[in-house]
Amino acid sequence: MVRDYNNRHALEQKLRSAPTPPAADHLMVGHWRTIATVLARTGQEEAVRQAIASVPELSLRFSGPGEWLVVSEVEAPSGLMRHLEELCGGRAYVVDQSDGRAVFRLAGPNARSILAKGIGLDLHPAVFALGGSANVLCGHIPVNLARTDENAFELIVARSYAESLFDDLMRMGRAFDLTAAFSD
Amino acid sequence: MASLITCPHCGVRPKEEFAIRGDASRGRPEPMDSDEAWHDYVYVRANPRGRTFEHWHHIAGCRRFLVVERDTATHEVYSVVDAVEFLQRAER
Ligand SMILES: [Zn+2]
Repeated sequence: MVRDYNNRHALEQKLRSAPTPPAADHLMVGHWRTIATVLARTGQEEAVRQAIASVPELSLRFSGPGEWLVVSEVEAPSGLMRHLEELCGGRAYVVDQSDGRAVFRLAGPNARSILAKGIGLDLHPAVFALGGSANVLCGHIPVNLARTDENAFELIVARSYAESLFDDLMRMGRAFDLTAAFSD
Repeated sequence: MASLITCPHCGVRPKEEFAIRGDASRGRPEPMDSDEAWHDYVYVRANPRGRTFEHWHHIAGCRRFLVVERDTATHEVYSVVDAVEFLQRAER
């Protein structure tokens, strides 16, 4: 028997309703985003970090010592894998996570107040600097949090937790009339 | 979130992000050591009061094992290092 498998976004069921106009605080769900984990071999941590950081289209998210999530908005998963293999040249292990993770982008003047309801990290602009990233707990869900703009944050979460995290974030943002929609 | 641990890789984090494994000061017995030695290692726990070394797994952060030196009565934290560095220091 031949089966067709369709790629379905983890939030397709949740975000079906007609999009409402975005409020000041808005949660954007990246439709398809290319993500990979990179784990450097012992002693190659700095070389790998520099090689990937030298490419402006690739965003490095700190995950642990010698370990990152690499996010690309322009490349397809296979292209990113090839690109990373070239850059790291046997100095790191690269695994595609594009179908395994979901990306949320929370932006707005109250983004910090919303996140502070579930995240025990100092989010003050002077402490969590632009371009900073960290693995943290949001409520009971492990996420990778990154500051991507003045008042914008990206959360990367395991696909199976995406619906729960979405519900939690919407509840955390209810006092600020947080809205949500797919990005494209 | 009163109990804060300063992870050498991640910075100041609440204890909710960690799993505590327990005493970091006892060595693992050799594979062929007596059953009693292994039984003690696996099952028997002291419940010390005062300054101790413990393995804390930063499970929701960098996922590294850390060694936290703290007072079990006051929760004063004296030092936090990666478990690999703790081992290297012990061997020196
Ligand atoms: Zn850590």
